[in-house]
Amino acid sequence: MADAPSVAIISLASDFGCQVQITNIDPGLLQVLGLIDLRYWQLTSSGHMPEEYDVAVIEGAVTTDEHIELLRRVRETASVVVAIGSCAVTGGIPALAGTIDADCRFAAVYGEDATVTPGLHSPVAISRYIDVDYIVPGCPIDTTEFLAVLGRALKGLSNGMPEQPLCASCKTHGNECFMRRGDLCLGIITRSGCDAKCTTLGRPCTGCRGLAPDANLEAARKVYAAFGHDFDEVVTALDLYNTDREVCR
Amino acid sequence: MAELAIEHIARIEGHGNIAVKVEEGRVLEVRMDVVEPARFFEAMVVGRRYDDAPLITSRICGICSPNHALTSIKAVEAALGVEVTERTTMLRKLLVYGSFLQNHATHLYVLAAPDFVGLDSVFPLAATHPEVVERALKIKSLGNRLTALVGGRPVHPVTAVVGGFTSEPKALDLASIHDQLLEVANDVLATVDLFASFALPDFASAGDMLALVESDDYAIYGGDIESLDRGWRRPVAEYRDVIVETSAGEGHGNAKHSRTTADGRTFMVGALPRINLSGDRLVPNAKAALARLGLVLPSRNPFHMNLCQAVELVDAAEHCAGYIERVIDMGGSSKPATVELGRECWGAGATEAPRGTLYHSYGIDANGIITSGDVITPTAQNLANLEADMRAFAPTVADRSPKEFELLIEQLVRSYDPCLSCSVH
Repeated sequence: MADAPSVAIISLASDFGCQVQITNIDPGLLQVLGLIDLRYWQLTSSGHMPEEYDVAVIEGAVTTDEHIELLRRVRETASVVVAIGSCAVTGGIPALAGTIDADCRFAAVYGEDATVTPGLHSPVAISRYIDVDYIVPGCPIDTTEFLAVLGRALKGLSNGMPEQPLCASCKTHGNECFMRRGDLCLGIITRSGCDAKCTTLGRPCTGCRGLAPDANLEAARKVYAAFGHDFDEVVTALDLYNTDREVCR
Repeated sequence: MAELAIEHIARIEGHGNIAVKVEEGRVLEVRMDVVEPARFFEAMVVGRRYDDAPLITSRICGICSPNHALTSIKAVEAALGVEVTERTTMLRKLLVYGSFLQNHATHLYVLAAPDFVGLDSVFPLAATHPEVVERALKIKSLGNRLTALVGGRPVHPVTAVVGGFTSEPKALDLASIHDQLLEVANDVLATVDLFASFALPDFASAGDMLALVESDDYAIYGGDIESLDRGWRRPVAEYRDVIVETSAGEGHGNAKHSRTTADGRTFMVGALPRINLSGDRLVPNAKAALARLGLVLPSRNPFHMNLCQAVELVDAAEHCAGYIERVIDMGGSSKPATVELGRECWGAGATEAPRGTLYHSYGIDANGIITSGDVITPTAQNLANLEADMRAFAPTVADRSPKEFELLIEQLVRSYDPCLSCSVH
């Protein structure tokens, strides 16, 4: 146990959903915690943030000066940084706020007289501020994939993320194609690895895992047009999790 | 002089700081500051299609996401005049109860219990009291399996959409969960007994208590808003007339505070108000558990919130088993109902989330594009009452040792089961 790698689980602006997914690792939860030395997890323990740890697992989007400062400290301390969930990996749904003018979004929530809070930024992915070694994309993360990536990180292996779009995996489930039914589906450009969960359960892909590195965007653009979806419609759909086009790929 | 300043209080959902200062019986300072950054969900939904609202607002909270998704769906349906089948309603109630099982088990065992046994976290219990940790995980994972079976996964349901469900569980899988719900009966009763064994401070909150109520069932998915003290009962569509939400004020961070419109009082939502208002509609086993606790209703003691959550676990398990029997027997369909656009509209929805009543409302234009959004979360309703409780409670325990003082204040905060990421949505 003395040699077990020490881990800190850290959250920025998020809904805690990915941390909840970590607590959902049952019945293996206790066993997993035995393999690592969990030094810090605000959600579950009153202990304070330690000076040293090997692995930082970070959930949430970067939104404040405090987050940026924290990330710089984390990067100096941890030898491995794992970004988990859409918020941390692409900016995710929180980054949608960045598509609205700052004054407008404050007025919409806090009234016309509200002033923009100093030190508050449009939410962005962690990799906009520090180098990220491993990603676990998705909203929320899949617990099995999280454990697999954490295992690879502890062993110093590559991230092992699939690079092709969702379609092939969706086909293996025998799903009827949403595009052929007239629905807009982001599966043709979205990173696979989710076992086509949503499409198999009857909902088109909304792109929570980011763009697939192997996706042919030019071809996809033509496919969307051929199926009657104008470019604005595709952009609106893509914005849901991927407003930051440079980071999401 | 008793003084306390805690940054990023642990074992609550989200990030918050507390500050309390009491001198010779006088309270000099009491603050519960939410340090979560503002998240702008109400602004984010504007300009997007009506069916994006549940998907986006579900991400307000990964802890009670089934509630946010369903409350959003109900608000959109109320606006567009969409009627759903009884089967859809039953399946949605199962999702809410799944959320109760997950959340209450987590809050009671992982977040609250360590305070009462002198530990920083639940993890050391795995070595000393493995049966307690196993029981907690058993109840929580059953909640997860139930939400995953009906919603597609435990966090952020996939299948629940405006008008119904895109996919339904198989009867065989429902039957299996049904049996597991009956098997957990002893575990939920043991949870009640565990929390009954903890000494709780004697303290009465001065605020009102609000919850949804239904005449023929324990209200979790619908009903009217009722006030315990004033007795008024109003439809959910009028929620903005009965609750005033204001900025919490300088130094409180980005959360809002709420008061009742009628008399400007702070109020409490959650398991204690629910049981105070609907205790007679609990299932018999839950009523028996309540009687065994010797809880005299109505109770005004916020520390009883934990006990009430434990009683609700008993209720949830039995209620769910009954709903599953009905879903298996009733037939019918949960296929999404057709949605008709073409007029400007507005609608509100509410459900009982594990930590209290949750409201969503939206304005939608003739093309189905959202023009306005409003969300009031349970924690945003509870924060002002929690601060008032801290202000009244702190002087009564100011003579305790600093460590004990801190523990008691933290226990009070945790009894509300606050979700601070929700509070700043």
